[in-house]
Amino acid sequence: MSQAPAVLVQGLVKRYPVFRGFRELIRHPFDRRTVTALDGLDLEIGPGRVFCLLGPNGAGKTTLIKILAGLVLPDGGRALAGGRDVAREPGPARSAVGCAIGDERSFYWRLTGRQNLEFFGALYGLRGPAGRRRIDELLRLAGLDEAADLRFSGYSTGMRQMLSLARALLADAAILLVDEPTRSLDPQAADRTREFLRDELAGRRGKTVLWATHDLGEAADCADDIAVISRGRIRLGGPAASLAAGGREALRRAYEKAVGEAEGRP
Amino acid sequence: MSGVLGAFLRRDFREAVTYKFSFVSSLAGMLLSLATFYFVAKLVPPGSPSLGPFGGDYFSFAVVGVAFSGLLGMFQEGLSAVVRSAQLSGTLEALLVTPVPIPVILFGSSLYSLLFQIFRTALHLAVAAAFFGLAFGRVDVAGVAAVGLLTVVCFLSVGVLSASFILVYKTGNPFSWILGTVSGLLGGVVFPVSLLPPWIRWASSLLPVTYALDGMRKSLLASAPFSAVLPDIAALAVFDVLLVPLSLAAFRLAVRKAKKDGTLSHY
Repeated sequence: MSQAPAVLVQGLVKRYPVFRGFRELIRHPFDRRTVTALDGLDLEIGPGRVFCLLGPNGAGKTTLIKILAGLVLPDGGRALAGGRDVAREPGPARSAVGCAIGDERSFYWRLTGRQNLEFFGALYGLRGPAGRRRIDELLRLAGLDEAADLRFSGYSTGMRQMLSLARALLADAAILLVDEPTRSLDPQAADRTREFLRDELAGRRGKTVLWATHDLGEAADCADDIAVISRGRIRLGGPAASLAAGGREALRRAYEKAVGEAEGRP
Repeated sequence: MSGVLGAFLRRDFREAVTYKFSFVSSLAGMLLSLATFYFVAKLVPPGSPSLGPFGGDYFSFAVVGVAFSGLLGMFQEGLSAVVRSAQLSGTLEALLVTPVPIPVILFGSSLYSLLFQIFRTALHLAVAAAFFGLAFGRVDVAGVAAVGLLTVVCFLSVGVLSASFILVYKTGNPFSWILGTVSGLLGGVVFPVSLLPPWIRWASSLLPVTYALDGMRKSLLASAPFSAVLPDIAALAVFDVLLVPLSLAAFRLAVRKAKKDGTLSHY
């Protein structure tokens, strides 16, 4: 019998209202124009897999992640994290995921790295000696033990990203949602982050990682499975071993073909 | 729950102590305000008929009004201010992905400011009594407690309404304007409502701040018995009965709308 998927998405639909100016509101007060972000998206991620989600800007990657994180409500279909429906059982579903989706502004800049983790840890129930031990362990794991008592404002971009991943691990959730974790990082910091996600979190700790990225090489190197999303639907998907079998260039050609077809380009 | 609220308090205390001059400048502002009213009060002869129900001393009347209106303003605007601040700083999303319910996040985020403002109000009154001659009457503790409790519930409900508005529309909070600005003029903060012309005096009876300050002043300054503040208590109870369910419903709707529109953490 096959294992239950860590993430299961079926026919997921999300439409955002289009912002309208005063003139438009007065001329057409009852007009409710929307833009479609997800258009019946289907997706399944097995437990312990590293799943890279590729796609152009505005394809729906971040919307999917925000729905799984409970920050956005879908308009149709369903999304399950750890077997729990994110819309119907938001509490248990939220407990099943750890999120590294906010940018560096999502921390308190005047507090130290440790104080930031202590605060967010307390919101996940990590308190007392056990909480302190867990935070020490996460700081060590993220390579921040020596910088733990420096103010967050003094951290480099790479250190901020590692702290964001450490925060996502506070709850020790089985599923990690990461949105462009290597964006703005220098090559060494990007490599460290990739190794941390792939080898430490997925490899040694068995986490399921849903990883949105624009970097095809990153997906080819790190993913167990790859999907290409465009115009709110999965256009191409499968094991990385098969999609990237011909190397990064083969993955690039497949990506461009899938996105081009979705956008009606030859 | 207490552990979560403690974490919010620790976070805000740790941040507050990094702003070294904030408390000093706030203390200086308080002293200047007290000195201003001390000298203005010399223009108002003791025993003015409109001050009679509140002990007859203008300085005491004004200090209690200013101290408590600052506190009520914090209860009224503290919740929306923390939502706005978290939207702008970018921390709101990180808070909302935790398993802590949104109302607890909201209350926890504003708790330090609320407690600090209570401390500041107590200090304001203590400094006014020790150095400027604020004249307390025979304080009716039951009256102060009843008026205080109902007032807190009322103004926190307005705070929840404000926060709901900010969650959806981000700025331009009308509750803050209506109850903040208008209360300053019509709520009897620095002059008795009885001085207002009759054609506008009725409007002050629609503002909760009028009853809150009236009840507090009578209990603190005029040695009034509990029965004398019963009309204020009844009026505040009516506000509470109306505002508590309304604010909770508005908040639920606002969270749902912001999640539907995908704008929960937008600014």
